[in-house]
Amino acid sequence: MRTADLDLLQGTLDLLILKTLTWGPRHGYAVASWIRDTTNQRLQIEEGALYTALHRMEKRGWLEADWGLSENNRKAKFYQLTAQGRRQLRAQTAAWTEYAGAVFKVLQTA
Amino acid sequence: MRIERDRAGVDRAVDDELQFHFDMTMRELMTNGLNPDDARREAERRFGDIQRTREKLATIDRSRVGRERRAEWWSGVAQDFRYAIRGLRLKPGFTLAVVLTLGLGIGANATMFGIVDRLLFRPPQFLIAPARAAALYFGVTNRGKENLGTSVSYPTFLDIKANTSSFDAITPFFVDQLAVGEGPATKEMKIGVLGADLWRMFDVAPAIGRFFTPQEDSLPTGTAVTVLSYAFWQTQFGGRRDALGRQLSIGSAKYTIIGVAPEGFVGFSPDPVAAFVPVTAESNAEIGPGLRLGRNRSPWYQNYGRIWLSLFARRKPGVTVAAANADLNRAFQLSYKHMLTVNPKRTAFDRARPRAFVGAVLRDRGPDEDNSAKVASWLIGVAGIVLLIACANVANLLLARALRRRREIAVRIALGVSRSRLLMQLLTESLVLAALGGVAGLAIAQWGGGVMRHALLDDEVTIDSAFTDPRTLMVVAVLVLAAGLLTGLAPAAQTSSADVSLALKSGGREGAVQRSRLRVGLLVLQAALSVVLLVGAGLFLRSLSNVRNIPMGYDASRLLWVELNSRGTPTDSVHDALLRDQLRDRAAQLPSVARAARAITVPFYSTWIVSLFVTGIDSVGALGNFTLQAASPGFLETMGTRLIRGRAFTNADAATGPKVMIVGQSMAARLWPGEDALGKCVRVLADTAPCTTVVGIAQDVRRTSIDKTEMHYYLPSAQFRPDQGGLFIRTRGAAPEHAEEVRRALQAIMPGASYVTITPLSTIIAPEIRSWKLGATMFAAFGALALALAAIGLYSVIAYNVTQRTHEMGVRVALGAQASDVVGLIVREGIVIVLPGVALGTVIALAAGRWVAPLLFQVSPKDPPVIVGVVATLLVVAIAASWFPAIRASRVDPHEALRAD
Repeated sequence: MRTADLDLLQGTLDLLILKTLTWGPRHGYAVASWIRDTTNQRLQIEEGALYTALHRMEKRGWLEADWGLSENNRKAKFYQLTAQGRRQLRAQTAAWTEYAGAVFKVLQTA
Repeated sequence: MRIERDRAGVDRAVDDELQFHFDMTMRELMTNGLNPDDARREAERRFGDIQRTREKLATIDRSRVGRERRAEWWSGVAQDFRYAIRGLRLKPGFTLAVVLTLGLGIGANATMFGIVDRLLFRPPQFLIAPARAAALYFGVTNRGKENLGTSVSYPTFLDIKANTSSFDAITPFFVDQLAVGEGPATKEMKIGVLGADLWRMFDVAPAIGRFFTPQEDSLPTGTAVTVLSYAFWQTQFGGRRDALGRQLSIGSAKYTIIGVAPEGFVGFSPDPVAAFVPVTAESNAEIGPGLRLGRNRSPWYQNYGRIWLSLFARRKPGVTVAAANADLNRAFQLSYKHMLTVNPKRTAFDRARPRAFVGAVLRDRGPDEDNSAKVASWLIGVAGIVLLIACANVANLLLARALRRRREIAVRIALGVSRSRLLMQLLTESLVLAALGGVAGLAIAQWGGGVMRHALLDDEVTIDSAFTDPRTLMVVAVLVLAAGLLTGLAPAAQTSSADVSLALKSGGREGAVQRSRLRVGLLVLQAALSVVLLVGAGLFLRSLSNVRNIPMGYDASRLLWVELNSRGTPTDSVHDALLRDQLRDRAAQLPSVARAARAITVPFYSTWIVSLFVTGIDSVGALGNFTLQAASPGFLETMGTRLIRGRAFTNADAATGPKVMIVGQSMAARLWPGEDALGKCVRVLADTAPCTTVVGIAQDVRRTSIDKTEMHYYLPSAQFRPDQGGLFIRTRGAAPEHAEEVRRALQAIMPGASYVTITPLSTIIAPEIRSWKLGATMFAAFGALALALAAIGLYSVIAYNVTQRTHEMGVRVALGAQASDVVGLIVREGIVIVLPGVALGTVIALAAGRWVAPLLFQVSPKDPPVIVGVVATLLVVAIAASWFPAIRASRVDPHEALRAD
């Protein structure tokens, strides 16, 4: 991962996580697996960064965490969206779409 | 199911989460066919820097948990606060009672703090390095007794300035009362008289213009320039800049206005002054080169005999107090030796033992403090006791409330509200009450400060508004906190010991008697403290009445002192003598004036001592101080001093006639014990002088000390300094009421710019009895307050007990008890509660007695009438406080009482 991509990636990672959680509470491992599977492993995301993002968003109040039991009956920390988190998701999705659209437009005119 | 409340919890949670992640990842990888080692490596590769991430996560979580806890705490506080406010609004009567009680307690303390702080603690405003600033104190022993004071002569000041190296600033400073302005608008005002060094001791810059320079404050005459105070500039010149350069008449000279001091600047003066002038210019104008002081005709700045300057200095940084004292002491002793070369007749060095030292800038803290400061310090303690009593009362009220709410509290505990939360709630409530009490207290202090200042301290101290003075506000905040915690403690303790099941079962009757033990304890304390304060009040009232009943030897309340102030215009002694006789004759014609007579000294204001020689006595001076009064005919009748034997002065005792004198009884007894003083010969001023014959013996007077009579004698004005002194005027009614009328009549015949000032003698004597007046008034006020609070407390406890025992009373009445039996029972109970308090208070009062004894006047601190009176008062109050609940108890309807519950 090159540092030049970091800014884009930071916001993108948050967005991906928020999106992942729209289908209900998940623990960190499930979020990581889901992102890897959905993107067919094309997005190389360092899992440490993913956990950092989860905790940071919890601190900001976008996510809420609680301890629960995993599918194999182990204690795991589950994250879910808060109302504030949903608002963030909507806002960031709109911003990202607009951004991507603009870039795409530029690329097409070339 | 949060567990991460603390640091360890947060770390554990992060580890658990990551452990779960790695376990899951490895399981998945191994399912895909990797061996455990490869799976671990792959999982770690995917994760990145594990240790760093772990720390990062813990940091984020810790900050999140901290924030959550703070938010929770604040919402708890806000909730308690809302709950407390709601509870108090539901009970406005209770709230008002508590707020007023605490307000009185806190207000009393804030008031006393304001005064004592100003007298004893607060350094003068703008003073640089207050710790290094000092007033200089000087002691000279005369006839075996040391006179300690702050005053020196100008040459002594110069000697000290020249011969010390410990100070980086040293200056005279004193406040003189001088006529300011011209014509009918002339008014006596306080003028700060100072050396140029003073400006360097304060961190001040002129509001406009400039301060005066050392060149303008230099000998022999100084420069007549003045710096106005900000307030005077505002009121007299409307704050206009063109005041600069104008001339202002102050005392005997005209001064050019060169600047205005910043707002609030008073130098070392305890109260506002109108303007500041150089000491050299002021002395030159007021004392003048033409001063006749006996045979010593040296100018004022070389005259060691004229002692009137107070000195202030600032130690250089790094110079210790001990070093400064040694330096100053040496310089003062040098100066004394120098003085002896000029005035060899003064007390010899070895016997005078001159010494000097640096002392507190605040006069009332120094070695010559007066009793008022001591009494004021006592009153701080008294105010503290009043606050304690107020707190006890409020605690009692809160306790009664907590007892009534026992059921509610038990229910809440049963519902799982934690005890610590309940405690917080109770404390919040008492703190809110205390804060409201603090606001009420500030209002009371605002009012009380004004009253104290005007009625008791003769406007000598200015007190800042309680609401804006940061020091008072801080003290009030501390008191509020203390009062809140103290009053909240009792009900809180009661709550934490509450037995839930008992309270729920019993419905609040059992246990009540036992619980009220704490309340009774508080009452005992209140009664004891009330006794202490009332005994204090009684002792000071007796002192005050003793002071007032002292035979002074004159009627201060009916006397006015008229002082003449010549301004500039030099006059000769013939005219001066004539003018005084004219003034006396004019005054005597006024309808409100009974008599008028000339005098040269005023009790508690000035004394005059000259050498006397009597045949057969080696040294009259060794027998004590004999003070003289030069009096015109009619003087004794004017003053109200009785002539015991012989005759009074008549017009025949003229300048050219045979020399005569009247002596006081003490003086006669001292000089001629066992003999008749009439006809004796005394030589005045020199042993070669002709005989002055004693023609009368007068009643003793008290003139310099309230404690003892003085050896005093009278010479006819015509025969001693006929051109000096002023008048005493005996009015037909209370003297102060006629002061203005007399002033106008006499002013009319004053020549040129000269003027008269009229002072009631009672005003001059007032400071002498101030400390007893202050003590009597404040102890009485605080004592009455304490007694009222204790009575309310007793009433509320008895009334509460009676309601709790309605059942028992019902049974008693049903069994045939008479109303009087029930009343007797309850009243006895009230007395039984108060008695141990009275006993305890009496013991404390007797023990504390020896510390107040020096402040009392001819009263033993164990004065039986005072103690008996106070004990009786408390018993009467106890009976009165339990009377009404007792009457209510006696009217209990047995049917109702037994059916209830």
